[in-house]
Amino acid sequence: MKKLLIGAYAAITIALMVWGFYQAIYVAPLDAEQGEIFRIIFYHVPSASVAFLFFAVSLLGSIGFLSLRRSSPDWAQRADAWALAGAEVGVVFCTVVLITGPLWGRRAWGIWWTWDARLTTTLVLWLIYVSYLLLRRFAAGPQVQTLAAVLGIFGALDVPIVYMSNRWWRTQHPAPVFGGSQGSGMDKSMLGPFMWNMLAWFCWGVFVLILRYYAERKHQLNAAAEAEAALEA
Amino acid sequence: MDIAKVIDHQFVVAAYTVTWVIQLAYLAWLGIKWRAEKRAAARRTSNTQ
Repeated sequence: MKKLLIGAYAAITIALMVWGFYQAIYVAPLDAEQGEIFRIIFYHVPSASVAFLFFAVSLLGSIGFLSLRRSSPDWAQRADAWALAGAEVGVVFCTVVLITGPLWGRRAWGIWWTWDARLTTTLVLWLIYVSYLLLRRFAAGPQVQTLAAVLGIFGALDVPIVYMSNRWWRTQHPAPVFGGSQGSGMDKSMLGPFMWNMLAWFCWGVFVLILRYYAERKHQLNAAAEAEAALEA
Repeated sequence: MDIAKVIDHQFVVAAYTVTWVIQLAYLAWLGIKWRAEKRAAARRTSNTQ
């Protein structure tokens, strides 16, 4: 039953991805100012949104781990697995943002990169979570999870700064399309394809996140069983 | 033929391709990791029996 549900969810996600691609390439009209290069928005913005969401998952997992590690170690391990899954899948999506953004910027602004507030804070966010993953990969000892949880919480503080950066400061990066000043927003003809792609990337992200969570749970259970066997030997 | 339009198109193709390469590569790595954990669990079970 579980396998059937996973298969059905994967099939729906793939169908949504194909539909989203069709909408982005064949349905959405060309932008009046930017022409075809505007189509990068259908991958760039959903990737950023999903990355933010998963860093929030990592934040909640980190808080959960820190608050439960003494009272309920098993639940703390689950929270830690969510924290790791959120951070890792978030980094994957953030990497997409940091590659598609410069490709778009090169054509729209004539430059690959500039040290403006939005771009710089996004790069810092990516670096923080890459260091989180490196810490978990290479550090050893009983305190690694605790240290990672603290880093995960501080890292998440950068997410609202990234989100607000082009509202607080003048940036090369465009002003917010959604929730910006008066006159911001998207034409209806582009909004449909945009929302389909948001939904498709969200479903894809959740699928990958859940796979990563279960892989980490397997790893935790294997490590715990090995430790137990070593003690018994 | 408008060169700017051709370059725009190439950049869009590059952005979409890079996105899918990253996502699918990560999914493949996750699959490998999953299998390794599954094998480790099976090995452990057979060792304890």
